Amino acid sequence: MSKILTIPSNIDEIEKTKELVDGFIIGIEDLCVNINMCIKEDNLSMLNDLANKDIFICMNKNLHNNDLESVKKLLIKLNNYNIKGVLYYDVGLLNIYKSLILNYDLVCFQEHLTTNYNTINYWYDHGVKYTYLSSDITQEEITTISKNTKSKLMVNMFGYLPMFVSKRHIVKNYLDYFNLNDDSKINYIEKEGKIYPIVDNATGTSVYSNNILNGIKFYINIGVEYIVLNSFQIDLDKFIEIINMFRNVNRHNALEYNDKINSMFTNVDNGFLNIKTIYKVKNNEK
Amino acid sequence: MKNKCELLAPAGDLERLKIALLYGADAVYVGGPSLNLRANAINFTLEEIKEGVKFAHSINKKIYVTVNIVLHNEELGKIENYLKELDKCNVDAIIASDPIVVKMALEKTSLKVHLSTQASTLNIESCKFWKSEGVSRIVLARECTKKDIKDIIDNVDIEIETFIHGAMCAGYSGRCVMSNFLTNRDANRGGCSQVCRWDFNLLSESKKNIRGIKPFTFCSKDLSLLKYLKDMIDLGIHSFKIEGRMRSLYYVATVVSIYRKAIDECYNSKDTYKYNKKYENILRRCANRDSVPQFFNGIYDSTCSYYNGRVEVSNQDFLGIILDYDKDNHKAIIEQRNYFKKGDTVEIFGPNHKTITYTINKIYDIDDNLIDVVRHPKQIIKIDISNYLEKYDMIRKKID
Repeated sequence: MSKILTIPSNIDEIEKTKELVDGFIIGIEDLCVNINMCIKEDNLSMLNDLANKDIFICMNKNLHNNDLESVKKLLIKLNNYNIKGVLYYDVGLLNIYKSLILNYDLVCFQEHLTTNYNTINYWYDHGVKYTYLSSDITQEEITTISKNTKSKLMVNMFGYLPMFVSKRHIVKNYLDYFNLNDDSKINYIEKEGKIYPIVDNATGTSVYSNNILNGIKFYINIGVEYIVLNSFQIDLDKFIEIINMFRNVNRHNALEYNDKINSMFTNVDNGFLNIKTIYKVKNNEK
Repeated sequence: MKNKCELLAPAGDLERLKIALLYGADAVYVGGPSLNLRANAINFTLEEIKEGVKFAHSINKKIYVTVNIVLHNEELGKIENYLKELDKCNVDAIIASDPIVVKMALEKTSLKVHLSTQASTLNIESCKFWKSEGVSRIVLARECTKKDIKDIIDNVDIEIETFIHGAMCAGYSGRCVMSNFLTNRDANRGGCSQVCRWDFNLLSESKKNIRGIKPFTFCSKDLSLLKYLKDMIDLGIHSFKIEGRMRSLYYVATVVSIYRKAIDECYNSKDTYKYNKKYENILRRCANRDSVPQFFNGIYDSTCSYYNGRVEVSNQDFLGIILDYDKDNHKAIIEQRNYFKKGDTVEIFGPNHKTITYTINKIYDIDDNLIDVVRHPKQIIKIDISNYLEKYDMIRKKID
């Protein structure tokens, strides 16, 4: 079975779940997007309390030139901590990493771009030993990738899925333009009865799926190094219950647990694990 | 000033390819029969690409083909043969974003590779990486500021291409899959359903409606960098890209001709070059959304957002296209595109002459009967005009 990573929402959650999971993904403030809990460089020492866990640090922002120096310093500083790897989106971070000698690995976290095994192998050949797979591929595609790469894979199995990242402050712009007041830390957008979380913060705007991914029935045969459970917008007690189900799932109880998770929320689906996306809607190929 | 920059235009089909090049583009980019980000556009067949290459090369211009989708396992088997076919077509480069396409093109073909804006390249280190991989040009992310571009050009010896005009994505290219989630159409494989142009209800943390005069949307205004053209030329950007492979023939002709004039004026007059407000007005009128400089000047606040409740103005300036000119009788033969009538003052523009302002005094139908109005779409008519006009010249409403 795969190991379990979570994307925790706060320290309290880490404390309450650290005996249940194999590790955590934690972001660095101002250098990551779509990560619930981000720490400042000054607080890296908290990682020492998690020394027996697989810790991955996320710096998955699109980097401008003025970010490069701080990224380099952080990559060097992180070498003093017992972390497994750093998740990146921007190739600039990989280029800096290659110029340094560091003890930890990189995780290609290019969200929706890690969709085939040859591309994953391309990054592997550049020294990137882990890949966080795209959330919009099927279980079958994941299995095929797994069979055709040496890269250690991570895949989302539970939680709201990020579906949009922008540098723009899209909520703030709307409020400013129409002179509206709202100090929500998180907003929602609604269309045809479906509600999508939207977060506008220092790094820009992110939007999440309206449904919570429940991948537990696909988990048993998925064949990846890590599955990732995301607690974003999930009540902690329920999240702990879900972690426990993922810890104990087997082929006999998978459907029972699947139904149980479905019954805990009103908005659950299987994401794209069993649905292929289409891209050609009319037959105009000549 | 450094070497003269390239003006790169979109072409959705062979006719628009010819229009773009005749109106002054130095190069065009087109979508081939597969693996490009406009899966639902009418793309070029390989035969059409060959014809386009032949035409472009005959007038010393270039053609690039987009192979910029994000590949899934099922596409891996198709890519090598497709790249070899494009190589045989003698295209000047492909535009790719998936690294495996980049690698395969460089290892298995003689194609040059331009890195697509889909890769969201914003910084010096990324550019150094891609240069070391062998790409010959990088199309920078649209989020780059003037300073970002300058720092990259000053520090990495590689051709840089930036967008100068056209529609903008609301999010980082490659990081938006709202289309996948809301419509099951894969944005990164050419199926983008432009969810960012939809209206939504915005709710607070406590799920109360927050409503301005217009509904919430991600929609961004378009990009226009005409005002910053000299700055861009001074930066040493190699190629200026106009967005819009699905845009109309009139749009392509108008935007290309304006930037062609402005670039040439800037190079020719150097120190005395001035931004021409009339050019901006012409550009504004042929778009259906307002345009701003976007990230180039570092401002991406609410002035860049487009709140218009999905009302996008259909352009009716384009009145007709010249099909031929009867030298003996001094008559232009025209295909109508929008209503016009006797007595209208119009502008006629084309690649080989200055814009002519002209008041239409006589209109004839195809059988040479005098008529007063031209109201039928694609109606073929003739007008009296002593100026020699050429095929592909266009008539538009007079713009002040």
